[in-house]
Amino acid sequence: MIVELLSVPAIILILGALILPLIPERLRSTAFVTFPVIALAMIWTMPEGNLLQAPFASYELELLAVDGLSRIFGIIFALITVIGGIYAFHIKDLGQQSSALAYAGGALGVTFAGDFFTLFIFWEIMAAASSYLIWARETEESAKAGMRYLLVHIFGGGLLFTGILLHLANGGSLYIDSIEPAYTAANIFMLLGVALNTAVPPLHAWLADAYPKATITGAVFMCALTTKSAVYVMIRLFPGWDILIWVGVVMAIYGTIYALLANDIREILAYSIISQIGYMVTAIGIGSELALNGATAHAFNHIIYKSLLFMVAGAVIHAAGTSKLSELGGLAKKMPLILGLYMVGALSISGMPLLNGFVSKTMISGALGDAHLEWPILLLLIATIGTFLHTGLKLPYFTWFNEKKKDFELSDIPTNMKVAMGIGAAFCILLGVAPQLLYSQLPFPTDFQPFSVYNFVEMTQILVLAFAGFWFLKNHMNVSNTISLDTDWFYRRPAAIVRTIFVDFPNNLFGLAETVTLSLANKLSAISKNPARVLIPSFAMSGREVKSDGFTASMSAALSFILFAFIVAALVVLL
Amino acid sequence: MKNWHWTVLGILLIASLILEFTYLADYASHWWNHVPAFYALWGGLGCATLIFVTKGLGKFFILSDEDYYDR
Repeated sequence: MIVELLSVPAIILILGALILPLIPERLRSTAFVTFPVIALAMIWTMPEGNLLQAPFASYELELLAVDGLSRIFGIIFALITVIGGIYAFHIKDLGQQSSALAYAGGALGVTFAGDFFTLFIFWEIMAAASSYLIWARETEESAKAGMRYLLVHIFGGGLLFTGILLHLANGGSLYIDSIEPAYTAANIFMLLGVALNTAVPPLHAWLADAYPKATITGAVFMCALTTKSAVYVMIRLFPGWDILIWVGVVMAIYGTIYALLANDIREILAYSIISQIGYMVTAIGIGSELALNGATAHAFNHIIYKSLLFMVAGAVIHAAGTSKLSELGGLAKKMPLILGLYMVGALSISGMPLLNGFVSKTMISGALGDAHLEWPILLLLIATIGTFLHTGLKLPYFTWFNEKKKDFELSDIPTNMKVAMGIGAAFCILLGVAPQLLYSQLPFPTDFQPFSVYNFVEMTQILVLAFAGFWFLKNHMNVSNTISLDTDWFYRRPAAIVRTIFVDFPNNLFGLAETVTLSLANKLSAISKNPARVLIPSFAMSGREVKSDGFTASMSAALSFILFAFIVAALVVLL
Repeated sequence: MKNWHWTVLGILLIASLILEFTYLADYASHWWNHVPAFYALWGGLGCATLIFVTKGLGKFFILSDEDYYDR
């Protein structure tokens, strides 16, 4: 059994996380990359089917359920862990390396889980391991954000687990299968639990709160794994739930608006994740084969270009030491390579033809067209315009082109970071010009053709006019020293009052009780030194000294006699 | 922005319009395909709307000082 467990890719990564501390420091980064490479090779070569069962109580758990959908998600999760490992090759922080591996193992475990228990266990491993990637930044801000992140995810895990238990109690199967659209308590809890990790507003605030505060390398793993594994679970469980069509549209617009307002470069990218996942959620809501293929393909592409963007943002922070647009500017001549790599990712996410975002976005709009959902198409186009505005124009313009506000002493960017970004950019271009490489791996066979005249005309007109609009209106965009209030307001703002009521008040009450008890005890002990002074004041006051710690001679004689009698009696009884 | 940048963008736009009026002249899968240069209009209007709506929302309640949660 133990040996068989090694055929599970998730176990390989988690085992890697445990072995890593035993490996000498200079080999650790190489080992970090090796484990996901092994996992990737395993996923690539595994046959389809339920490959490994494990008995648990009266249940038979499915640890390795492989089909077209889980395989493509497994491939991208392992691949991005390799790229992230290269990006973090220079890092000598064991905690970060181990938790990143365990985190990726959690994502792979969720992907290949065939039953709800296995899914839930790996779901929680992901939440716990990823929290450390925020704390490892070691600032006061990230310590607090990491704790909020962990608490929100524990809450989300609780929602999911409640749903699973209700589902089982109602006679539902332990094994994962798509759920018919019915709003029972079990389904609603499960949907909410998954929606929290998918960052559906209003349950999304953890994402934009935590990602900008994570470590430079940690954020690369985070932007790829948590939300997309939840998208995978949503494709599995809730395909064709109509409500998701509009939920996705709202997400896409909501994320765009906040990304347009943000000042921190990684916050822009974080809100843009929410917006992009909106496309996937909409496609899941349609539920047709083309739509689910589109959601899968978009998740795949999104992981590549979004991690590329996070890597570049990390490189800017590494070099310049700040992530705020209000401080950056005028860096284009100093980091042309980084700028070029960024633009590949930014134009991909904006849906520029011949880059990878285009080949999956057109698939989703094709599925929307087939389903005659015309307003969602138009509204998602607005989100596309917004994406081009914030990720494609605002962020690069105010980081690299606008007049400089400060003189930066740029630190060198390690070669391994550049290599990782280069690999990401190469995949963006490769899948953009040869989409069949991706389409052939999708869960349903497809003959979809993205390169139509119509799609070229559509994207060209949209992007050119959006660019012109940005150029003339760019001074209306926010790049001031501000933060955006979001739904995390509801648990951050009342924190002071909650602290007063539930922490400070009981603390003070117990403190007061302690003081009172101690002073009472002090007084009592003072009295017991000489009780006669209180009990018979006339006796004590008459001037005679009372010896409380000694006996009079006659009393001593009486006591000695009693003791002597006792010893004699004892001797008589015993002998 | 140099002049040649604008020229390239102008050429791209004109090329897309020519394609629209020749290749896609009787293409009608959505109601808006009857509106000439619809995507250019949607792009321009959408961009302006987004910028001003977010600016308004930001002023109205979203944007706040950086020490908002520490106060």
